[in-house]
Amino acid sequence: MLSEGYFHSFRANLVKAVIELRRYLPNTISMIVTFYAIFLFLLLGVRFVGDPATADDTVRYLLVANGFWFLLMMSVNSMGWELSTEAVRGTLEQLYLGTVPPWLILLFRVVAMLLLNLVILAALTVLSMATARTWLTVDVGALATLLPPTLLAAVGLAYVVAGLTIVFKQVNALLQLSQFVLMAFAYVPVSQVPALELAPTAKGIDMVRRVLAEGAPLSSFGAADWASVWATGALYFALGLVVFKLFERRAMRLGLLGHY
Amino acid sequence: MPEASLIEVRDVRKAYRGPGGKLVTAVDGVSFEVARGEVLGLLGPNGAGKTTTIKMACGLVHPDAGSVRVAGHDTRTERLQAVRHVAAVLEGNRNLYWRLSVLENLVYFGGNRGRSPREVRRRSGELLERFGLAAKRDEVVAKLSRGMQQKLAIAVALLADTDVVVLDEPTLGLDVETSHEVRELLRGIAAEGRTVVLSTHDMPVVEDLCRRVVVVSGGKVVTDALVADLLNLFRSRAFRVTLAAPLPVDEMARLRGRYTLTASDDVAFEVELAEPGELYRLMDDLRAAGAELDGIERTTPRFEEVFRRLVQDGGVGAAARPLRLREATVAV
Repeated sequence: MLSEGYFHSFRANLVKAVIELRRYLPNTISMIVTFYAIFLFLLLGVRFVGDPATADDTVRYLLVANGFWFLLMMSVNSMGWELSTEAVRGTLEQLYLGTVPPWLILLFRVVAMLLLNLVILAALTVLSMATARTWLTVDVGALATLLPPTLLAAVGLAYVVAGLTIVFKQVNALLQLSQFVLMAFAYVPVSQVPALELAPTAKGIDMVRRVLAEGAPLSSFGAADWASVWATGALYFALGLVVFKLFERRAMRLGLLGHY
Repeated sequence: MPEASLIEVRDVRKAYRGPGGKLVTAVDGVSFEVARGEVLGLLGPNGAGKTTTIKMACGLVHPDAGSVRVAGHDTRTERLQAVRHVAAVLEGNRNLYWRLSVLENLVYFGGNRGRSPREVRRRSGELLERFGLAAKRDEVVAKLSRGMQQKLAIAVALLADTDVVVLDEPTLGLDVETSHEVRELLRGIAAEGRTVVLSTHDMPVVEDLCRRVVVVSGGKVVTDALVADLLNLFRSRAFRVTLAAPLPVDEMARLRGRYTLTASDDVAFEVELAEPGELYRLMDDLRAAGAELDGIERTTPRFEEVFRRLVQDGGVGAAARPLRLREATVAV
């Protein structure tokens, strides 16, 4: 059955992600250390330079923003990074010889990677909260509701990066630049810059920030909020997928699929 | 398309933009068919257009013109349906994830073919036994020898249980012993009745396994013929002549001027005639030179030599037109 085949593909990609996380242990450790070091650096800034009266609120904002920045970088850059690595290894063309469409394999990979990184991030957030002695309102139900539309837009961006990678291969400069753009989406509240509501992920992160940092219940969000977060999520996902398919077709026309 | 043809390549063309933006034609009107269960050798010198043709057959490169159909599905417009029938080893041992183990590679690729882990493990067990990799199932691919990696890449392709298996240079870079092992494995695959498209420079492998060859050169098909027919054709032109006594030097030089011949020693030489009928003229010339004939026999050329001549001549004989011998009777 087709859907059963897709499940097996998702499972295979999840298992591969777990294995590679273990086999590339130095990379995993360096990723965790980097995240924690950046948080400590920002925390020191808040404690020693910022206003002591608002320090706890700022740290809570920081915990959410830093976590999302980490998730966005992982998801947006992962597809492009994996495709360029696969082109170098020689495995990229094999992905195109399966019965599961490559765009779906990439989606399975990014979902698998997000699931694993959410576990790592949860542990890192607890460690960061303990270090800062400031605690977020952990509402698992709200997170489970808000994360899908928020990360949907991130996956859309990942498809754009993947599409560019499949044709141009070397997109390291773009990936470095994207870190700063993603930082803006994660750190700048929509209330400060209303135009960000149209940007991918920003609205969703803003809503998560209100739940985790301000303790707002899901019921505090109106229909317009939900419409905005789902519409931007779906729009950027669809747009990303279309861009990826266009670049993929171009790569096949130019014979670039397996070349590096 | 005839019912029996599993792959139909019809007048495909492909040009790439080379350095300086200049269009370079890689494939120029290539056509051929591959019947179900046939083992076809796709041969040609480097840069002849073999890999591009193979990649078009796998739906990895879109042709500029013409079409490739696998099991009736166009590889461009119905790519997924077409590649459902194809498994390929395109870059040998580079087709694997080197940080994953042998079994993990099989499970991963099987999963992306929609297979359950249980099904993949069962099939993998059989394949690993057959490929002599059972003891290495938990070994990380990076630690395997090149030959083992190559065998694993073929095992991964077979795991898909597709109608068509495409193998691009399966014995490239292997030592003699491993190359022999891989050849035995390929013989087994061919015996299973699968349709195999084999691209290689290893002519003994072609001679051993392929029923038919398509030779491409300069992006065009120069020969599409049965291996046996080609060997017979070239066999009918090559003779070994033994004389009772050496010929005078000037007479020998005269013969060299008229025929393509290689002297083995003073009294024996091999001659390749443009057509079998030329043998009578050679006899006349030898008689005129005063040679006393001790013996004459037809020699069997190696396929490597046949291939070299095909590419050199642009097909069978001097004519640079493709020769199709599949249905032809070769007069010897």
